[in-house]
Amino acid sequence: MASGYILNRGALTLKSHCQRVFRNVSLSQVREKKRWMKAYTHIMAKKLKLEGPPPPKPRSQQPLWDYHAEVQAFSNRLHESFSLELLKIAFINPCYLQVEQERRKGLGINSETTALLLKDNMQLSAKGADFTKSFLNDWCRASFPSLPSKGVESIVGHLTSSAVVTYVARNLGIEDLTMSGEFPVPDDVLHSTFMAMIGALQESSGAERAGFFLRDFLVTQLLGKDLFDMWTVVNPMGILVEELTKRNVPLPEPRLIRSAGASTVLPLYFVGLYSDKKLLAQGPGETLLAAEEEAARVALRKIYGFSENRRPFDFSPQQQHQQPLFQSVSSN
Amino acid sequence: MTSRGTPSRFLRSVLQNGLGRYVCQLKRISIIFSKTHPSSLGVREYIEEGVVDYAKKNPGTVVYVSPQTSTVPKIVAEYLNGNVREEIVIRKTPQQISELFTKLTSQSGLDIIRIRKPNHTDSPSIQGQWHPFTNRPPSIGPIKPQKQLNQS
Repeated sequence: MASGYILNRGALTLKSHCQRVFRNVSLSQVREKKRWMKAYTHIMAKKLKLEGPPPPKPRSQQPLWDYHAEVQAFSNRLHESFSLELLKIAFINPCYLQVEQERRKGLGINSETTALLLKDNMQLSAKGADFTKSFLNDWCRASFPSLPSKGVESIVGHLTSSAVVTYVARNLGIEDLTMSGEFPVPDDVLHSTFMAMIGALQESSGAERAGFFLRDFLVTQLLGKDLFDMWTVVNPMGILVEELTKRNVPLPEPRLIRSAGASTVLPLYFVGLYSDKKLLAQGPGETLLAAEEEAARVALRKIYGFSENRRPFDFSPQQQHQQPLFQSVSSN
Repeated sequence: MTSRGTPSRFLRSVLQNGLGRYVCQLKRISIIFSKTHPSSLGVREYIEEGVVDYAKKNPGTVVYVSPQTSTVPKIVAEYLNGNVREEIVIRKTPQQISELFTKLTSQSGLDIIRIRKPNHTDSPSIQGQWHPFTNRPPSIGPIKPQKQLNQS
């Protein structure tokens, strides 16, 4: 109608802005209050409530990602010189290759002309896992010479367990770089990727540097942990008796040292273990049996050198290991 | 808000950083700015002068520079523990932006909330934590509730 025509002619005088992109096409922006906005936001909020939040996307599918730069930065950040090809192979998991092949088949890409030439990380992962186990075993035996093999196995088993390794891997940024079939990356895939990275480090820089890497990132997770958190011992008194017979020390006799509140809801008993009338260890407990078991555990911690006041582990940086070589050269 | 109403955490480091070797916790930093708008003038000057030196000094951080039309200029920092921090840099000078970069580089990615204690230790006691039986000669007798002297 006439009024509508006048309104259209006067479009440039209102708040809407007409942008000429090409000669015949113009995009119009409306800068005034948008009447559809409220309904749109309500519908999107309802949709979010119905369906829940959108599934997380891997970082490689979000904007601003450069794989080569990320891999280089990963190597530099850890102060290690990885061989980049080995490192890239270490991040490729077999599940990713399967998913990629299926996707290519689904898209109809001919596998003869455009073959997927990627190696997966199974070999590196196995190598890395073996090296980790052997290094951690050696380190444990060196730090705790009197710890029996079951104790060493349980400590090594705890440090190489899925929980600890995936925690370390997630906090080192390995999850962004892993190429796996599913997202979020499952724990076992992340575990094998970490081991493959250790294998790649061992092949690029040698066993010593890989050993220092494991010391700096896996062994530090032992901080604040008690021996019997990692090693479940059913009968500590039996193990204590065995240890003392090996060292030809007379067997322990338990004696009640302190007691408080025996007739209350929370009694406290301190039981001491004496071998040849000398105190080995004392431990508290709510009942006499519990106190005796705790005293046996304290005695075992003292014997194996795992007490809270032991000498801290040596995490000094590697240069200090190289300095003696220079000193001997300069003195000659 | 009060300290009980707002979140708080204990002092800690990510993966015992610094104990073994120091790992810079900033994994990537992205500069999003506009090519023409005056609010990103400082950002554009910083990109011309300072960002390449920064990237050379921090080889462990990936720097992304992304011009986008009609955006508010911001810097997005992603840390190794997964946290993402966005800082808006409208109308900041290049010096302020480089200070911001050093601040973001030296942070660990943990949340910037109230820290309950300014200290933390994994070995709180060397000689053994005190309990009421430490240094108490057994001849005194067991610990009992004290008898009240004034009985009304």
